[in-house]
Amino acid sequence: MAELPVDAALTEGRVPDRSPEEIPELHEVDCPPELHEYIEAAMGRYPDRKSASLPALWAVQRRYGWCTPEGIRQAAAVMRVTPGYLESVASFYDLFHTEPVGTHKIAVCTNISCWMRGGDELLKAFCEATGCDPDEARHGTTSPDGDLHVTRFECLGACDLAPMASIDERYFGPLEAADAATAIEQLRSGEDVLPGKALEKRPLAGDTEGGADA
Amino acid sequence: MPETRVLLKHAEDPELRTLAGYRGYGGYETLERAYRTMEADEVLKELEDSGLRGRGGAGFSMGKKASFLPRGDMQKYLCCNADESEPGAFKDRELMMRNPHQLIEGIAIAALAADATLAFIFIRGEYDLVADILDTAVAEAYEAGYLGKDILGSRRDLELVVHRGAGAYICGEETALLDSLEGKRGNPRLKPPFPAVQGLYGGPTLINNVETLSNVPRIVARGAEWFRGFGTEQSPGTKVVSVSGCVRRPGNYEVELGVPIRELIYDLAGGPLEGREVKAFYPGGSSSPVLTPADLDLPYSFEAMAEARSMLGSGSIIVADDSISIPHMALRTAQFYHHESCGKCTPCREGTNWTVKMLERVVRGEGTPMDLDIIASVQENIIGHCLCVLGDAMAMPVGAMVRKFREEFEQAIAAAGEAPRPIAAVQGAPETMGASA
Amino acid sequence: MSREVTIVIDGREVSAHEGEMLHDAAKRGDVEIPVFCYEPKLGDPVGACRMCLVEIEGIPKLQTSCSTPVRDGMVVHTRTDQVKSAQNAVVEFLLVNHPLDCPVCDKGGECPLQDISMGWGPGKSRVIDEKRHFEKPLPLSPLVAIDRERCILCYRCVRFSQEVSEDAQLQLLERGDRTYVGTFDDRPYISPFHGNITDLCPVGALTNYTYRFRARPWDIEQAGSVCTLCPSQCNVSFTVRDEQVKRVLARDNPDVDDGWLCDRGRYGFSMFSASERIDGPRLKGGAATDWETAIARAADGLKAAGAASAALVGDASNEEGYLVQRVMREAVGSPNVDSLTSVFGPRRETFLRLADPGLSARVRDIDQADLILVLGTDPLHSSPIVDLRIRKAMRRNGARLAVATDRPTALDGGAVAATRYEPGGAADFLEELSKALEADADNQASAIAEAARGAERVVIVWGEQLVQPKASAVDQLVVISDHLKLGEQEGSGLLEVPVTANSRGLREAGCLPDAGPGLSEAEPGRTTWTLPAAIERGEVTSLVLFGVDPLRDFPKTEKWRAALAAVDHLVVFSTFENATTAMADVVFPLETHAEKDGTVTHPDGRLQRVRPSASRPGDIRPNWGVLAELSLALGHDTGVDSQPSAFAALCEAVPFYAGLTDAEIGGRGVRWQEREAASALPTPPANEAPVVAELMKVSGEPPEGPFQLGTYRDLWAGPITELNPALRFLAPQQRVEISVADAERLGVKTGDKATVAQNGTSLQARVAVRERMQDGVCFLIGGTAENNANSLADAWPVATRVDIAKVEGS
Repeated sequence: MAELPVDAALTEGRVPDRSPEEIPELHEVDCPPELHEYIEAAMGRYPDRKSASLPALWAVQRRYGWCTPEGIRQAAAVMRVTPGYLESVASFYDLFHTEPVGTHKIAVCTNISCWMRGGDELLKAFCEATGCDPDEARHGTTSPDGDLHVTRFECLGACDLAPMASIDERYFGPLEAADAATAIEQLRSGEDVLPGKALEKRPLAGDTEGGADA
Repeated sequence: MPETRVLLKHAEDPELRTLAGYRGYGGYETLERAYRTMEADEVLKELEDSGLRGRGGAGFSMGKKASFLPRGDMQKYLCCNADESEPGAFKDRELMMRNPHQLIEGIAIAALAADATLAFIFIRGEYDLVADILDTAVAEAYEAGYLGKDILGSRRDLELVVHRGAGAYICGEETALLDSLEGKRGNPRLKPPFPAVQGLYGGPTLINNVETLSNVPRIVARGAEWFRGFGTEQSPGTKVVSVSGCVRRPGNYEVELGVPIRELIYDLAGGPLEGREVKAFYPGGSSSPVLTPADLDLPYSFEAMAEARSMLGSGSIIVADDSISIPHMALRTAQFYHHESCGKCTPCREGTNWTVKMLERVVRGEGTPMDLDIIASVQENIIGHCLCVLGDAMAMPVGAMVRKFREEFEQAIAAAGEAPRPIAAVQGAPETMGASA
Repeated sequence: MSREVTIVIDGREVSAHEGEMLHDAAKRGDVEIPVFCYEPKLGDPVGACRMCLVEIEGIPKLQTSCSTPVRDGMVVHTRTDQVKSAQNAVVEFLLVNHPLDCPVCDKGGECPLQDISMGWGPGKSRVIDEKRHFEKPLPLSPLVAIDRERCILCYRCVRFSQEVSEDAQLQLLERGDRTYVGTFDDRPYISPFHGNITDLCPVGALTNYTYRFRARPWDIEQAGSVCTLCPSQCNVSFTVRDEQVKRVLARDNPDVDDGWLCDRGRYGFSMFSASERIDGPRLKGGAATDWETAIARAADGLKAAGAASAALVGDASNEEGYLVQRVMREAVGSPNVDSLTSVFGPRRETFLRLADPGLSARVRDIDQADLILVLGTDPLHSSPIVDLRIRKAMRRNGARLAVATDRPTALDGGAVAATRYEPGGAADFLEELSKALEADADNQASAIAEAARGAERVVIVWGEQLVQPKASAVDQLVVISDHLKLGEQEGSGLLEVPVTANSRGLREAGCLPDAGPGLSEAEPGRTTWTLPAAIERGEVTSLVLFGVDPLRDFPKTEKWRAALAAVDHLVVFSTFENATTAMADVVFPLETHAEKDGTVTHPDGRLQRVRPSASRPGDIRPNWGVLAELSLALGHDTGVDSQPSAFAALCEAVPFYAGLTDAEIGGRGVRWQEREAASALPTPPANEAPVVAELMKVSGEPPEGPFQLGTYRDLWAGPITELNPALRFLAPQQRVEISVADAERLGVKTGDKATVAQNGTSLQARVAVRERMQDGVCFLIGGTAENNANSLADAWPVATRVDIAKVEGS
């Protein structure tokens, strides 16, 4: 009978490359006091401490730019949950980044209404302006200088601004291809981004005389 | 045709979002009366009698839903669903940005009716600016004594927490919202048990949409009869309708329910763009089966849309003109649901994946004649078999598009040059790697 | 008890319990509804896979039968066109992305996906698109491979990790069809229970590295037995190919293991064929010999010593223990028989009181307890399955937990009260608890007493830390039981976690210095701990060690080494070669629990059957036979010439086992307390002061040092990891656990090397800083291969003192 392949587990034993991750104890992580306080306060607002997962992850992301493994461990130590739990939660949601994403985040809507009004072209324009690869931008990619993250996104709830983009969590639209280049320049130089196209400035649709033709 | 502004009344005034501005227009008077003089049952009756139907998509009677909560001393909760992520819907954004106190007052009064003492506003994470505005308004309300302990000496408490989501359409589904609020992944739960009985943290929970709750103060102030004066018998009240797509003036318009759709699209939203004609439209967001120009004169109400085998949903109209390729629109729609599927149940997870792969081939010119029938069959296999309605939300519109625009699909397939290469790259799929030892 | 209701399934009336899930009611009515994600052992149904959709009259949409409770008069259809179309749809959807791996997949042949596809699938594929890809297979842990392409996302494994073992290491990542099962930062999944996910997985996504490509289901035989690697005595099923054990599966006994296995039992089988295995009798110096010579040599030495012989029994079945004590008492004429069960102290009277059926809790009682009190042990290390059971009771049934131990336990996080006492302080603690319960005194046990107040059903799980030089420690347990009225309340009681797997059985078979079979009176003999001194004085000249390794497992290693060297005649029965067998005059091989034929008694009194599943390697003979031969050689005919006759002899000698038959024990075991013969348990002598055992004398200066030392037996310390290559990575290096404050004072952090010293002896250990440790106390592992704490410990588990110093440059 032919010799069956024998796994190393049976002969010498396989060896793990790292240690497992259980609930970290506070003295094992170096949690910045402000982060610790914020998460404790967040936990206090809910009857169940675990509800603070999203606020805690937001705090980690705000502090470190993205949900770093170390940041997740710090939050896990404060919340007394496993880092795996928080990583599982973070990876479910589109706005939490489990990889480094740079300083500025640009989300271009390519859902139905925006797609009808040129969302795909707008995404290409942002890619050109930042040097990002358009194929990569479909799931999100960072510019070569590491500073700008461009991604296509689903409906952001601003179809009246179609085609639009959310830049550093503020909505701008309707945008033309040239606006993309302008916005990137403004981001890079620290100026206000596209002040004329910000959502806050837009009146109620029914109040515009003759309509704000797109 | 002008709008019927009720919820959007005074919304053009930037002061409306401040406590002082809101009170200047009579805001919080109803809360004061309700908390000082009314019983929960009274408020509940008014809401039930008004016939107010949920404005978030399901269209279920709000008062009846609130009455499902059991009586008793146990902790009860109220959740405001501000997760507005349905493609084409942006009305809640408008309401919260311009009139946050109307929502807060509505929440407080609804909480009184349901005997809930802890309320949450679950707002989608992308609405960062809106959440900031809400935070400010909630703080103002606390300071004024409209929230907190022993409100206005009524011995009733109400804590209100603004909770920001993190980007997942599925969290608009009420049980997925609850899971997300509990700090978990946003997976829907089995129903029954329903949230009214076993909801947040296992306790009785009332979940309502922003617009639904924004209606509450005026209903309690002016009465059910007054509310029924607007709209139709089965769809009373006004509706803030989001119109977008190939129209000249996309935006939010508040109208009485029952107005002809044509008025919304052509009069208020300015009609199609220069030189274009309406080809199809989603009457109730991307989850609704598309309707054609033949349906433009239907009244915009829950019952009329249901009769037309579509739905009113959240009240969001997306218009496609004759420059839009329907197969491509179907693909874009399917891609959305594929991206947003939580993955918990088999038919939705695999059905959205498979549908996208097939539509991508069709759009790319690699469709086969069997694909159309398989696509239609897959939608049938999804409908009614999933854990929540997200699967149906893709299957119904895609199925309708294939049915109503079958010729266009067949043309796309006939135009396919070479034989299909079965390599479909699904958006978001991890890179193919070779098998390791 | 819920009432019976009648439902109609496919036209037939079926009786069901009100509130039970439709799927379960259907099963009992012989109607099969296919499922993937439904597993009641994992908690509430999820309704995720949608495979179990059925038609219920009155409800327009199809419902998942796993999550629908039955109601009287419910009419169900499982074979209509609508249902069949739904089932076809779900199978088709599952196979859209499932790889066609069957020819190379270990699960083939025992795969629910294959079976359900055949039974309820459309039979043809319509997919021409490329399937979803993942890198595969990857090591989820050194023992389990994960193939994410095969995964059908039934969530059983993540639910196990989160709701059964509660380690929450295994998680879902990403969303939608990109979802996959993984760990934080791709770390390995290491937990003592993680092997269960390979049993749970309905496809070949999770496979054991130890079983990959080893056999197809049609090549193998399955044989049921009991694992005796720890007191949990889980029911197992051995997968045997060519008469060798290739795999261990759980055999699901709700009264013992609830269907789970720990990784010790699951992966600890390759040692059955380790090179260290003793495969035949041998004499000192290593010379293999024949059985006659060996037995004759052993008998001669014992005969010569006569009453100056002693026997220690550790790892043995009931029959083996019974025969050893019979050899000693009747053949050799020595009263010195002991088993590791009575480390110090508890004597016959105490054991009789503890054996009272009224005081005895069943494992199942943990499920329904109002309060579970864990005293003096960390079940995760001493009896892992009990840890899972306690977690289940807390999570599903709202049981409250109170813990009182010297060392922080894995259960502390969920306890309403977790109290520490100093190592060796268990007896004092129990006295305080007694006072606190009786008179509401305010002392270190108050928190525990408070937790116990008002609880109706109380189960006390107690273990090794309670067994003390002061016999009063375990006697106090009886007093506390009275306070809590454990004997009067149905569902309350004591559950012991003894030191060895069959401690209870050995006790009841007569391996006690002051009790014979059936806990009958016997001429008092010497206890284990008095032996080194007795050997030194020349009062004991011949020693039989049956399944015991004093040089690894007993404190005061050097004392024992000297004793074993000094004794004239040393006979050792052992499965593996070790330091003790190296010193023996005659070595006899022992069978493993995969080869043995016999019975063992679970700590809750359940007799279970160990059945031979694999063949004995080399020249190994059944243990009962060897002992019977030895007895004959010593001039005493036991009349035992087969396993059944050994069992019969045992049952005759133990009155409360009277009349037990193989059939009665069957595959699930039977508790002797639930039989008529239970009344034959001797009554404990009334109102006698407990006999305090002679202590193991402490010689020399009492040690000094700033730290009080406690030792514990880590789950993975010992031959289990050293002799099983698959488990080798778990072999613990010695570590010294100290509190955060002490670590700061010493200037050390986790991972630093340190020396732990006591009166001139010292050992090396890595520092492990832990939050819930008391200041001034440290813990070391007993039983490691190197730097064994037993070389230090003065008289484990009594407290002793040490000094800790950082090793510079580490």
